[in-house]
Amino acid sequence: MGDASRFERFMERLHRGEKIEATDWMPDEYRQLLLKLIHMHAVSEIMGALPEKEWVPKAPTLKRKLAIMAKVQDEMGHGQLLLRVAEDLAAPLGKTREDLVTDVITGRVKFHNVFHMEAPTWADAGVIGWLVDGAAIINQAALLDTSYGPYARVLKRICAEESFHMQHGENIILALARGTEEQRAMLQDAVNRWWESLLFFFGPVEVTDAARRMIEYKIRTKTNEELRQQFFNKYVPRIRSLGLTIPDPELRYDEQEKRWIYTQPDWKKFGEIVRENKGPKSRERIALRRFAHMDQRWVRAALARYSEPEFVG
Amino acid sequence: MEQSEPRIDYGIYEVFVQKSHGDFHIHVGSVAAPSPDLALQTARENFLRRDRAVNLWIVPRKHVYATPYDDPDFFARETDRKYREVGGYTENGRLWRMFKEKALHLEDIVRSLRDLEGNQKPTE
Ligand SMILES: [Fe+2]
Ligand SMILES: [Fe+2]
Repeated sequence: MGDASRFERFMERLHRGEKIEATDWMPDEYRQLLLKLIHMHAVSEIMGALPEKEWVPKAPTLKRKLAIMAKVQDEMGHGQLLLRVAEDLAAPLGKTREDLVTDVITGRVKFHNVFHMEAPTWADAGVIGWLVDGAAIINQAALLDTSYGPYARVLKRICAEESFHMQHGENIILALARGTEEQRAMLQDAVNRWWESLLFFFGPVEVTDAARRMIEYKIRTKTNEELRQQFFNKYVPRIRSLGLTIPDPELRYDEQEKRWIYTQPDWKKFGEIVRENKGPKSRERIALRRFAHMDQRWVRAALARYSEPEFVG
Repeated sequence: MEQSEPRIDYGIYEVFVQKSHGDFHIHVGSVAAPSPDLALQTARENFLRRDRAVNLWIVPRKHVYATPYDDPDFFARETDRKYREVGGYTENGRLWRMFKEKALHLEDIVRSLRDLEGNQKPTE
């Protein structure tokens, strides 16, 4: 069969709402777009565990320590599940798991802007759990209907675990919101610190070529702006109900336009942070990742020497 | 049966059914078959006479590594894992009410995103 008619048949499958499996023929462009998306997603889960990991030894109570540790474990687990999906997509391109894992150390794959930022107080740990996870959950829930079967299945599992992350984050900030003046001020500071990063997290307002292609391929079904608007819908009223303010004097819901008007984040600044790993914590966290990966190389090498025994029936 | 007749040994295959592309393959039982191809056929006849599926896996039983049933320690967990579960945070609903708001759940988000689809169906 010619490539053109294969492509046509592939697109027809997508339009019928069929899911694509790893063993199916797929256009190169589809594979590349998916791989880029899932690779960045996987690496961001792993890098995303690092800001919260910093709070494991400093969590205020034993229960909080157990809970945040459980969450860090989940995020690492999400990274593992996603890497497996990416690995199968990358194999025909001659890329291995080792490549996918080391790409973040060598700067060949980016990770989300929010994970380049500092988390100086316990309120930051809370706001990460509440709002950063909240934003990530909106993104991931929107991908549940993706056309790629293996990604859809893994996302279902990830989202189930994210439900705990939502409640966990809310619980921390609700405690602080009911706390002393000092605690409330700490919470407000953290919201101020994270707000702009959170808006950038959803990506540019304009639909880039890559984003348009992903929508055509039904890899994703929503635009960045639709998801950012969802975030406002869900979180602005909740932030305000706690008596907190949002550091954007322009922010309002326009009844006519049926959408939130807001001050644009500094696209240039965050773009550089992500592309060039220039955020306040980028270097430190990549160094930690490199250390973890390299320092344990010998363990992986030793384990790989295990050879499968003869199976006995 | 004649003593001299050679024994016929079928292999045992464990069967995994994937009901839809949204589901993982789930173990449903096993079949005896002379070859992997026939194991697939037999599995379809045994397990999919009514249920629908999109995929079937059969795995030679000898390739399954399992935990022993008499080692409960393998699955031991500390007594309380509530801190890890949504159910450990039911107080959130009450706490949000103090601020005249509601706890947010994953289902709320999935629902709003799917509603969005209804309103603004992307033009094809
Ligand atoms: Fe996650
Ligand atoms: Fe999470």
